[in-house]
Amino acid sequence: MLKDITLGQYFPGDSFIHRLDPRTKILIIIAYVVMVFLIQNFVGYIALALFLALCVAVSGISPKCLIRGLKPILVFIVFTGIFNLFLTPGEEIWRWGFLKITVEGVRFAAFMVLRLVFLILGTSLLTLTTSPIALTDGMERLLSPFKKVHLPAHEIAMMMTIALRFIPTLLDETDKIMKAQSARGASIDSGNIFSRAKAMVPILIPLFISAFRRADELATAMECRCYRGGEGRTRLYELRFGAVDVLGWIYMAALLAAIIGINMIFGKF
Amino acid sequence: MIRLENVSYTYMSGGPFEKKALDDVSLHINEGEFIGVIGHTGSGKSTMIQLLNGLLKPESGKVIIDGTDLSEKGVNIRDIRFKVGLCMQYPEYQLFEETVLKDICFGPLNMGLFQKEAEERAKFAANMTGLPEELLDKSPFDLSGGQKRRAAIAGILAMEPKVLILDEPTAGLDPAGRDEILFKIRDMHKRMKLTVLLVSHSMEDVAKLADRILVLNSGRVEMFGTPSEVFAQSARLREIGLNVPQITMVADRLRAAGADIPEGIYTVGDCYRILLPMLKR
Repeated sequence: MLKDITLGQYFPGDSFIHRLDPRTKILIIIAYVVMVFLIQNFVGYIALALFLALCVAVSGISPKCLIRGLKPILVFIVFTGIFNLFLTPGEEIWRWGFLKITVEGVRFAAFMVLRLVFLILGTSLLTLTTSPIALTDGMERLLSPFKKVHLPAHEIAMMMTIALRFIPTLLDETDKIMKAQSARGASIDSGNIFSRAKAMVPILIPLFISAFRRADELATAMECRCYRGGEGRTRLYELRFGAVDVLGWIYMAALLAAIIGINMIFGKF
Repeated sequence: MIRLENVSYTYMSGGPFEKKALDDVSLHINEGEFIGVIGHTGSGKSTMIQLLNGLLKPESGKVIIDGTDLSEKGVNIRDIRFKVGLCMQYPEYQLFEETVLKDICFGPLNMGLFQKEAEERAKFAANMTGLPEELLDKSPFDLSGGQKRRAAIAGILAMEPKVLILDEPTAGLDPAGRDEILFKIRDMHKRMKLTVLLVSHSMEDVAKLADRILVLNSGRVEMFGTPSEVFAQSARLREIGLNVPQITMVADRLRAAGADIPEGIYTVGDCYRILLPMLKR
C-alpha cells in the first residue's frame, strides 16, 4: 500500500519538460498554483486542464502514473468536497433533516475539489520530471538573491535535498517494519480507529529510531567529506537557461493571459 | 508441511519498473526438515519467504501451509503467521518496547495469550536463543548488536511457530556471534522439532546445518537436494553467481589434479575421512 505514493518520485526522460531548467519549472509551477486559485469559472479550469494534458503528453509520463499520485489524498479530497457541499450557506436546493445543499455549496465544493486535484497533478508532474537534485538546485539559485537578507539559501536547499532523498528510504523502511510486526501478529489494517492508532506504536518507534540513526550516520559521512556549508562551494553542473526555457516562459505567459481573459469574459460562474 | 504449487510473483505489476521475482516455483518441504536457501541477490529468496506466511500474496499458484491453502477464503492469515514464524533480515530494527521481555511478549500477546503465559514463553524463548535472563528487564536499545538480534529472534520463537524462517540471521555479526546463533538455531531445530528455513549467503553455514538445500536463480528453482547433490554441481553454482564451501573447492582441485576423490564433499570431516587413508598409503 505504501508503494502507491508517487510523491517525490522521479521518472528520468528527455522530453521538452525534462529539459527545462529547474528554475523555469519552479517559476511555472508558482504561476500555475496562482492560476489554480485565480480561476473563477469552469471554462478556466477546462483551459487549465488542456494545458496540463498537453504538458503530460509532452512529458511522456503515463497519465495513469500521475493519477495514482492522487490516491493517498483521496480521502482528504472527498472530505473537502463533502464539507463544502453541505456546510456552505446560501440558496437551498435540497434539504434532509439538518443536511442541506445550496447552489453556492455545489459550486464551492466543485471548485475546492478541482483546485486540490489540479494542485496535486501539477506538482506531481514537476517532481516526476525533475530530479530532486535539479529541483533543489533550482530552489537554491532562486533563493540566492535573498542571501543578502541572511536567508540561508544553501542550507535550506540542502535540507530539502536530504528530505527528498530520504522519502523512498523511509517508505521502504516503513514497509519493512510493518511486515516484521505483522509477522508477529500485529494487525495494522483492521479494527477501529483507536486500536489502529495503538497498532501504529510498534511501527513508529522503530521508524523514528532508524531515522535518527540514519541522520547521525549521514552527518558523520558528510563531515568525513569535509562538508562545511555553502560558502565558496562551486558546482559541477551550472544551471543555464536555454531556448527551451524561453519557449516555456512564452507558453506560461500565454496561458496566464488566457486565464485572465477567460475570467474577464465569463465572469464568476 | 509447506507446499508451493506453480507460484509466481511480480513486483510493481504493470508499471515501468515491473520485475518478476518468482516464476512458476513448485516445491515441497517436509515437517521437521532443515532447509538452507541460497541464491544470488535478487534471486527471489526474500519474496519466497514472505509468500510463506502471507505477507505477500502470490500472483498465481498456491501456497499450502500444513494443509491450508492461503489463498482460500476464510483463512485467518494471522493464524498462519503464528504458525510460520518469519524473522526478517536485520530483525533488531523491529524492537520497540520498553523492556526486552515486553518486546518478546509482543507476538504471544497478539496471539491472545494471557500475560503470565506470554512471559513464560518469552523467558523460554530468550533462554533458547541464549539471551541472559538479567537482560530481560533492560531496554532493548541498550543491548549489543548480537544481543538485539537474539532478542528479535526470541520474539518470533516465543510464538512457538511450527516453521521458523530466518532471513540471514547472522548478517553483520562477528564470527563468534555468528557461530553461536547458528548453533542455537540447530539446537532449537533438534529440541523443538522445528521446520527451519535458513536463508544465507554463507555456503559453509548452509552446508553445515541443512538437510536439503534450495538454490534459487532469477526467480526459479535451480536445484533442490541434499548438500552433497547440490555442491557436486560446483560449476553451475559458480555460473549463477554462487559458490561452494571452501572444503569442496579443495576437494575439486585435488580431483582435477588426479586424486581419486568423489564429488559432493562439503564438510571438513568428510574430506578428512577420504584424504587420510590416501595420505597413509
